[in-house]
Amino acid sequence: MRLSTTRFGDIDIDESRAIMMKAGILGFEHLKRYVLLVQDEEILFWWFQSVDDGSVAFVVINPFVIKPDYKPIIQDNDVELLEIESPEDVILMSIVTIRSDPFRVTANLRAPIVINLKKRLAKQIILDKPDYPIQYSMMDNKLILGEESYKKEEIIASALSI
Amino acid sequence: MLILTRKLGESIRIADEIKVTFLEIRGKQVSIGIDAPKHVSVHREEVYQMIQEQNIFAAQYDVLGDKKLSHIWDRLKKEKEKI
Repeated sequence: MRLSTTRFGDIDIDESRAIMMKAGILGFEHLKRYVLLVQDEEILFWWFQSVDDGSVAFVVINPFVIKPDYKPIIQDNDVELLEIESPEDVILMSIVTIRSDPFRVTANLRAPIVINLKKRLAKQIILDKPDYPIQYSMMDNKLILGEESYKKEEIIASALSI
Repeated sequence: MLILTRKLGESIRIADEIKVTFLEIRGKQVSIGIDAPKHVSVHREEVYQMIQEQNIFAAQYDVLGDKKLSHIWDRLKKEKEKI
């Protein structure tokens, strides 16, 4: 289908590739369908574009890129809700807040979007424990983006598989 | 706002599916148990508010194409390399 977006103009999307939010992104509960747009494989910021409202899109990043030891606990009821059968079916996305100062670019590690790739179902969960911040600075750890500290190919492949 | 008084161990029922039980009071803290179906999300109000606000703020980022985003990515990488 043809989708009219404010950021990318008219784009063609495959409706069958849309991800259905079982519970909407908080503040955007009325928007149910999203597509992931990878604009440039060199950049690990991706876009989570609403299919229902062309003006709504979020910059997202795979949280393991910025925090390799990230270990969020997904509650049983969410595992059931998203019909998750195996950990391999799951991919996580953190919503990024972009600011012009790179020191103030943050990712939300407290409320990741959990996507079941197989069933194409997703939910923004809120982690019970406050160990992971809502505003995690992308400059917070020593990790150099683009280095081999994470498996870039795998991360990109996972995004393209969405 | 509806105000009800309950004893410890007693519950309230919201619609058919949600049960809230008052378990324990310790000083100024109250423990409550919530039985709700899996499609009902239960959150602490202040955390819910913060995440909603963060999402709305994040969604305001509106660039023309991804040019600026690549610029920010490059700057992040450069700054990181200095560390």
